[in-house]
Amino acid sequence: MKRVQFEHSTIPYLFIAPQIAIIAIFFIWPAGQAIHQSFLLEDAFGLSSQFVWFRNYVDTIGDAAWIQAAWFTTIFSALVTFLSLGIALLLAVKANEVIRGASTYKTTLMWAYAIAPPVAGLMGNLMFHPLIGDLYKFFNAIGWEFNHKLDSFDAGFVVVLIAVWKQVSVNFIFFLSGLQGISKAVNEAAMMDCKSPTRRFWTITFPLLAPTTFFLMVINITYAFFETFGIIDTTTGGAPGGSTNTLVYKVFQDGFRGADLGGSSAQSVVLMIIVLALTIIQFRFIERKVHY
Amino acid sequence: MKNINWRLASNHLILLIGVLFMSLPVWVAFATSTHTAETILREGLQFWPGSNFIETYREVMFEEAGVMKSVLGITMLKNSLILGIGFAVGKVIISMLAAYAIVYFRFRLATPLFWIIFLTLLLPLEVRIIPSYEIVAGLGLLDTNFGLIVPLIASATGTFYFRQFFKSIPDELLEAARLDGASPWRFFVDMLIPLSKTMIAAILIIMFVVGWNQYLWPLIMTTKEENYTLVIGIKQIYQILSEGGELPQYQKAFALTIMATLPPVLVVLFFQNWFVKGLVESEK
Amino acid sequence: MKKLIMKTILAAGIAAIAMPVTAKTELQWWHAMGGRLGEVVDEIATNYNASQSEYEIIPTYKGGYEDTMTAGIAAFRAKQQPHVLQIFDAGAATIINAPGATIPVADLMAEHGKGFNSNDYIEGVRNFYADSAGKMIGMPFNSSTPLLYYNKDAFAAAGVTNPPATWEEFEAIAPKLKAAGYTALAQSHSPWILSENFHSRHNIQLSTGNNGYDSTDVKILYNNDHMKMHWGKMKEWLDAGHYGFFGRAWGDNQDAFVQKKVAMWMGSSGSFGGLKKSTDFEFGTTFLPYWKSIIDEPKSTFIGGAALFAMSGKSDAEYKGVADFFAYMTNNENQVFWHKETGYVPITTAAYEMAKAEGYYNESPDAEIGILQLSQPGGEWTKGYRLGYYVQIREVMYKKYDDIFSGKSSVEKAFSEMESESNALLERFAATYK
Repeated sequence: MKRVQFEHSTIPYLFIAPQIAIIAIFFIWPAGQAIHQSFLLEDAFGLSSQFVWFRNYVDTIGDAAWIQAAWFTTIFSALVTFLSLGIALLLAVKANEVIRGASTYKTTLMWAYAIAPPVAGLMGNLMFHPLIGDLYKFFNAIGWEFNHKLDSFDAGFVVVLIAVWKQVSVNFIFFLSGLQGISKAVNEAAMMDCKSPTRRFWTITFPLLAPTTFFLMVINITYAFFETFGIIDTTTGGAPGGSTNTLVYKVFQDGFRGADLGGSSAQSVVLMIIVLALTIIQFRFIERKVHY
Repeated sequence: MKNINWRLASNHLILLIGVLFMSLPVWVAFATSTHTAETILREGLQFWPGSNFIETYREVMFEEAGVMKSVLGITMLKNSLILGIGFAVGKVIISMLAAYAIVYFRFRLATPLFWIIFLTLLLPLEVRIIPSYEIVAGLGLLDTNFGLIVPLIASATGTFYFRQFFKSIPDELLEAARLDGASPWRFFVDMLIPLSKTMIAAILIIMFVVGWNQYLWPLIMTTKEENYTLVIGIKQIYQILSEGGELPQYQKAFALTIMATLPPVLVVLFFQNWFVKGLVESEK
Repeated sequence: MKKLIMKTILAAGIAAIAMPVTAKTELQWWHAMGGRLGEVVDEIATNYNASQSEYEIIPTYKGGYEDTMTAGIAAFRAKQQPHVLQIFDAGAATIINAPGATIPVADLMAEHGKGFNSNDYIEGVRNFYADSAGKMIGMPFNSSTPLLYYNKDAFAAAGVTNPPATWEEFEAIAPKLKAAGYTALAQSHSPWILSENFHSRHNIQLSTGNNGYDSTDVKILYNNDHMKMHWGKMKEWLDAGHYGFFGRAWGDNQDAFVQKKVAMWMGSSGSFGGLKKSTDFEFGTTFLPYWKSIIDEPKSTFIGGAALFAMSGKSDAEYKGVADFFAYMTNNENQVFWHKETGYVPITTAAYEMAKAEGYYNESPDAEIGILQLSQPGGEWTKGYRLGYYVQIREVMYKKYDDIFSGKSSVEKAFSEMESESNALLERFAATYK
C-alpha cells in the first residue's frame, strides 16, 4: 500500500528516539544481561564468576522442579484459556441476544477487568481460607475433602478458578464487540437458512468470530504465562510442594529469593524462547486457518 | 410463543449466574471488610455489611499501623495514582511520537527500528525482571518514581495502537497539508492530535488501569514502605497474615482490596464507552 | 563603624563556634524487621544516635529476609551497599562464602579496640555465624530457637498433667487430647524446627564437611534413618488426627493453636509475646521434644533469625563507627531491652545474667525457656550449618514434606529425592567458588 509520507532525515529519528532509548536501556540491555548471566556461575555478590557454557541450561532443564513448573504452566495455561474463553463466549452470546437489560449486563460483566491479579488472588485466597473461608467450608460440605494447602489438585483448582474469574471480563468485552460487529445482513441471511439457533451459531457465527478468538487466545496465553504471577504470589506461592509453580514464578523465586542469578537467567532465556516459539506457532499455523 | 419465552428465560438465567459469579466475591469482600476482626474469626465471611465500616477504613487509610509500620493507606493511594497517571501519560506521549515517525516518514532505519519495537511485545517484563532490577539499582533509580514508571513504558503496546489508528487516517489529509507547506511538527500538532482525541482518551484510560495494577515491577523495585502502591500493600498484608503472631486483621485485608480496586473500576465504568472502543479498536 | 565591624566579627565568631564543625558520619543499616520489631529497631537507633555525636545510624526496612538479602546483593554489585546488612540463617552461606564481601565482626571489633571474646556469647548462639575455627563473622542480632507451646486448659480437659518431654511421651498423650476434642500438635516451620533443629537436638550430623563449615564441597545428610523414622511418624500422626498441617505459612499454623484447634504448637522462642496478646487461654512453654530412642540427653538447639554483617568497601572511619555501634548493640542494657521488647534471646551470657538478676524471668518465665534450651550442653553437631543455596534447599524440603503429608510420596522416596536434589544444588554452589 503506497503511503504518502514525509521525506525528512532527522525529524523521524527525533520522534522515535524516546521510545528507542527506553527500549534500549530497559529492554535490550536487561535482556542482554540475562543472556550473558545465563552463561556464568557467579556468587551472588558478583565477586567471583566463571564462564560455564551451557551448564546452567542443563541444570535447569534437568531439574525436576523446573520440569514440574513447565508441566504445570502448560496445563494451567490451557485450562485458563479454554475455560475463560468458553465462559466469556457463552455470556457474550447471551448478552447479545437479550434486549432488555443488555447494557446493565454488559457493565456488570466487564468491570472485573479493572481488578489487579494480586488483588483477585488475595480475595480468592481469603475465601478459601480454612478458618474463615466460605468456599472452603462449602467444598468440604459437599463431600470433597478440600484442602488446598495440602493437596496439589485442590491448590491448582483454586489458582485456575481465580485466574479464570479475572479473565472472563476481557474476553467478554471482545467477544461482545465481535458479535455486535457481525452485520445484520449476515444475521438475517443466516436466520433464513438455518432455523436452529445453535447450529447457526456453530456454522456461521463462530467462524466469523475466528479473528477475535485467535487474538484472544494469544492474549489469554500471555496472561496465563505471566500475569498470573500476581495471583500465585498471593494465594499458594507455588505450594504445596511446588505444584502450583509457573515458570515465571520459578524465575522469580530462584533469582530473587534464592540469589541464584545464573540459574534464574538461564530460566529466563528458556522462557523467552518458549514464548517466542509459541507466538510463531500461533501466527504461522493458526492464523492461516482463520479467514478474514 | 412458548419456545421463545423458554429461550429468553434461559438466556437471562445464564447471564444472571454470570453476573453473580463475577460480582459476588467482591461484594462479600466489601461486606466482610465492614466487620470487626473478631466477628470474622468467629463467623467467617460475611454477606451483609456490618457496623465497622468507618472504623476499618479510617484505620486502613489514616493510621500508621493500619496496614504496615510506617505507611498510610492514603500514601499508598497517592503512589498508585502517581504510577497510574504517570504511566498512562508517559506511554501515550512516547507511543504517539514513535507511531507518528513510523507511519508518516520514510527513513533508513525505519524497518529495523520497527522490528525492535515489535520485539518488546513478545517478551514481557517478567522475563527480564532480575537484570532490569540490577540495572535500575545500578542507575540509582530504585525507590524513585522515574525508575518505577519509565521501564514499564518500554513495551510497544501503545505504539501499535497508534500505528493502527494513524494508518486508518486517509492519505488525502497529509497531501493537503503538504500542499499547504505544513511542517511535520505542524501537521502532527494541528491535525493529527485533534483527530486522535478519542483514541488518546481511550488509551489513557486503558493504560491508567494497567499502570495502577502493576505488581511485579513495583514489588521488586520499591524497598521503602513509603513508596508502596496499594497493590503492593496487598502483598504486604498477605505476608503479615501469613506470619501470624497477632490477631489476623482480615477486615483490613479486605478493605485494602476494595481500595485497590475501586479507582480503576470507577474509571472503567465511568468512561466505559471510550474504554471499550479503545480496547477493541486497537485489536491488532 | 569600628564598633559595628567588631560586633559582626564577634557574632560570626560565636556562630562558628556554636555550629558543629563536622557533620555526623552516616551509617546505613538495612534490615528485615517489620511491624513491632521495626519500631524497636528504630528506638535503638534513635537512642544510639542521641548517645554520641560522631555517628548516625540510619535503619531502613527492606522487606522480608529474602528481599533484604536481595536488595543488599544488588546494592553491593552496584557498589552502593549499606554499612550494615541483616542476613538470615538460610543466607549465611551465601554471604560468608563470598570472598571479601564482609569484614568479619571479630576482626572489626578487635581492629577498633573493642574487646571481642566469642566465649562471652551463649553456647547455642556463638557458632552459627562463625567460621570453622570459631571466628565470628556475623554478629547475631535477632536470635530465637524453636520451642513447644501447649494449651494448659486443653491439657486439663484431657487429663494430661505435663507437656511431653519426649516424642514417646507425646505419642502416649496424643489420643487423650484427641478424645478431648483437640488435634494434639501443629508446627510452623518443617525445615527449621523438624529438620535442622531435629539434627541438633539429637546431635546428628547434618552434612559432610563438618556441617558445611569446612568447605562448600559437601553433601547433605538428611536422608538418614532417624529423620525417616520421625517423618514416618509425622505422617502416621497426621493420618491419625494427632498432627494438624495448616499449610506452610507460619501464621496459619500458629492461628490453629490460638483458635484452639490444636493443643500444642511448635514455634519460636520469640512467639510468646504475640501469643500472650492473642490467646484467651493459659499456655505454657517448654523445650523441644526429642526421641529417647535416639538420644538419652538431648543437646542444645541452635539459633534461627538473622545476624548483622559489616559490608566491605567502606572507609576506616566508617568502620570505626560500625564497631562502635556493634559495641553499643551488644552491651547488656541494650540486649536486655531488645530481649524484653521482642522476645528474641539475649546473645551474651552477661546480658542473660543481668536479666536474671533483674527478676525478669520471675514475672515472665516463658521468656527464659529459649535461652535455657540454647544453653544446654552442646554436642558435635549443635553449632549450626553452613550450606549454600539453602533457600532453594528449603524449598525442596517443603516440597518433599508436602508430598509425604499428601501421601503422594513414600517417606523413603521423598527423602531420597530430597537428598539428590539438595546435593545437585550444593554442587552448583560449590562450583561457583572453584
